[in-house]
Amino acid sequence: MKADPAKNNRLSLIWFLPGLLLALILMSLPLYHFTANVYTKKSANTFVGDDTYKEVRAEVDAAAEEFRAQGMDVNVEEAVTTRTNSKGEETSLVAFSITQTVSKNLWSFLFAGLPSSPVLWIMTACMVLSLFCAACVTAGGRSVSHPRRENRKTDPAGTASSGKADRKSRLLLDVSCWLLLAGIILTPVFLLMNNYLFWRKIRLYNEELVTEGRDALFSKMDAFLFHGDMGEGIGQALGNLSVSHSPAVWLLMLCFLLLAVAAVRLRFGNVKKPVLRVLLYAFVIAVCAVTLYPYYVMFITAFRSNAETLDMYFLHLLPTKWIWSNLSDIIHRGVPGFLLNSLMIAGGATALAMLCGIPAAYAMARMNFKGKKAFLGFVIMSQMFSPVVLLIGISQLMNTLHMSDSIPGLIFINAAFNQAFAIWLLRGTFIAISPEMEQAARIDGCSTTGSLVRVLLPMAAPGIVTTLIFVFINAWNEYTISTVLISTAAKRPITVGITQFSSFNMIEWQYLFAASLLATVPVVILFMAIEKHLTSGLTSGGVKG
Amino acid sequence: MNTGSRKNKLTPYLWLLPSILLIAVFVVFPIAIVFRLSFSEISKSGVPGGFNGIRNYVDAVNLPAFRTVMINTFWWVVSVVGLSTLFGIIIALVLNQEFFGRKAARSILIFPWATSLVIQASVWNYIIKYEYGSLNNVLLNLGIIKEAMNWRSSYQVEFVWECAVGIFVTVPFVAFCVLSGLQSIDKSLYESAIVDGAGFWDKLFRITLPLVKPALSVSTVLNIIYVFNSFPIIYTMTKGAPANKTDTMITYLYMLSFYDRKKGPAIALSVIGFVILCICAGIYMTVVMRKEEEQ
Repeated sequence: MKADPAKNNRLSLIWFLPGLLLALILMSLPLYHFTANVYTKKSANTFVGDDTYKEVRAEVDAAAEEFRAQGMDVNVEEAVTTRTNSKGEETSLVAFSITQTVSKNLWSFLFAGLPSSPVLWIMTACMVLSLFCAACVTAGGRSVSHPRRENRKTDPAGTASSGKADRKSRLLLDVSCWLLLAGIILTPVFLLMNNYLFWRKIRLYNEELVTEGRDALFSKMDAFLFHGDMGEGIGQALGNLSVSHSPAVWLLMLCFLLLAVAAVRLRFGNVKKPVLRVLLYAFVIAVCAVTLYPYYVMFITAFRSNAETLDMYFLHLLPTKWIWSNLSDIIHRGVPGFLLNSLMIAGGATALAMLCGIPAAYAMARMNFKGKKAFLGFVIMSQMFSPVVLLIGISQLMNTLHMSDSIPGLIFINAAFNQAFAIWLLRGTFIAISPEMEQAARIDGCSTTGSLVRVLLPMAAPGIVTTLIFVFINAWNEYTISTVLISTAAKRPITVGITQFSSFNMIEWQYLFAASLLATVPVVILFMAIEKHLTSGLTSGGVKG
Repeated sequence: MNTGSRKNKLTPYLWLLPSILLIAVFVVFPIAIVFRLSFSEISKSGVPGGFNGIRNYVDAVNLPAFRTVMINTFWWVVSVVGLSTLFGIIIALVLNQEFFGRKAARSILIFPWATSLVIQASVWNYIIKYEYGSLNNVLLNLGIIKEAMNWRSSYQVEFVWECAVGIFVTVPFVAFCVLSGLQSIDKSLYESAIVDGAGFWDKLFRITLPLVKPALSVSTVLNIIYVFNSFPIIYTMTKGAPANKTDTMITYLYMLSFYDRKKGPAIALSVIGFVILCICAGIYMTVVMRKEEEQ
């Protein structure tokens, strides 16, 4: 690899140029086969071979001849359906159809004006330009030394030794590679857009499930497939349109793959590293896409009309009409009250958890006493028991304390069940801060409480904010205890409140998700703010919502 | 300072007092109530009567759905914890690399962790609807499927979906636990390993995994507990239907006590669940305490 970079590059170029030419030629082979129905004749009470059959058959054949006379490639097909009617007699229906097969190469897509045409334009332009650049480099006969990165390492003085011309050809090579890669990356986009059009959109248009923009597309398809011959009959012709690819497509793909490898080699000098890099990005993008998908669904559904949320034939990425009134509708259905309740519960629980947790964490971090370890164990144990297992006990306790169906009750429960985490994380923060400053303050006449409030707390602010936000989010997202304890609708927190939009027989998705959106956005933003501090505290304690 | 005085000896306990009170009243007390109730007779409205021995436990074990529910709980915990740990490790390893947009990716990955489980479950409930769900819509539009698929054709499939949602919401927790472990690994270890000629797998199994093991074990034990306790996903997506076939212990005991008015067996189930949790907690304590001592 290191032996002769210039030779290596020339080798890659030899791959590259014919590869591109081959790709461009392959694109002119007929790759897409469309089979459309141009003529249908149904004949009832007809059995194969009887007189009616022969009569109709002759008629259909004549029609087919007519089509052939126009230079069309048609096939006659017949389908027989036999059925026993209510009287027990056997009936038979013969359906004749004339199908026409049209083959199209990729070039014809360029001028078809289909939604995917612009993509193909860009792809082709990229490839042709890339070919041009690469041709310039080779035609110049210049020896292209190894790409920039490699150069910088071996030649720290920059490109002083290599001349201006060399730099120019390297630039050309770069441009050529990136253009080619861009073109190749667009291939799946093009294929998916075609899929969408031929498999989904036309079908829905034809069944008149979706009508918007139908005529424009149909006339384009008519011009594309039948030179505009179909006219009125285009709907029927597209009715049973089936699309298949010729095997040359796979050859083209293979060609693209080889080209990509050649481009990567030229640009980076080695294949393994950039490919790993691409795989890394592909993985990250895939994971992020899967993660964001439910949020995307929540977001767009929150602004769609009820009819659209229940529409399987929805063809758009975004709502066709943004229904902002969904938001005002949920405001009238108690959502602000729920949000306020959640705010009170989460805020109260956070305040209480911090008020009890800070002194405890301080004692654990700074003082020595008997039973310290036992207390730590006690705290960690209490973290283990999610309130769900203890639901019945808690509701009994709340009845005794006259706190069931009340917001203060939820505040206490949430604070208690988050106590463990608060102490654990605060303790870690306090231990990480050296006690010298407090000692100095105490020598200056400060009390223990004074030194805690004036010296330690300001220094521990990041850790405290992290704990604060985390407890807040946990309490905000809590659902189970609230469903059990709160029976008055007006006292519900938002997590319970949103369930009013979903009953067994009817779910008002748009309201459900509009309210969910309001409940989610603030906490997600808060969580992003503390993410960095949280990760460091994670493994030392235990944290999860 | 006069550390010997009685007042100073008491001070730490005074500092701990509010916290202890809070936990004692709202965590320990309900535990006591549950234990006491599990051995007493309980009327349908939940009023406790006299001592009843282990009658409630016998009733609980004899419930028709008991076996299914226990098996479901087992699969729920094993699949969600196992797979989310696997995915979490992979994602953490990737996020530990330097690449453009790493910060954004981390922020995005934290979304499921920060979102309420009810909301997540509702969204997935919509996504996999047969008639109008978003998944069918998207796949049809992309031409990947030709006909709408019924993503919840049977309760087994629905349970698998519930597990998938459970994994989806749990992965970020594991990933971030492992990531924090990864970031504390000394980079020079890898450099010397490369000098010694170690390959990718060598580095992974000889350096990375052993060093994140403490972080991983803490997160795994915690995960077992949280997943075991998880309620909203199953409750929102199927409510245990049909006939408790998709219930886990937690949703089942909720249904028993608040819908079916069978408080007795429900409380016995609570105690059984509590004991299971105690065992997990014991393991967790040993792990954490050992880690504390190491530090």
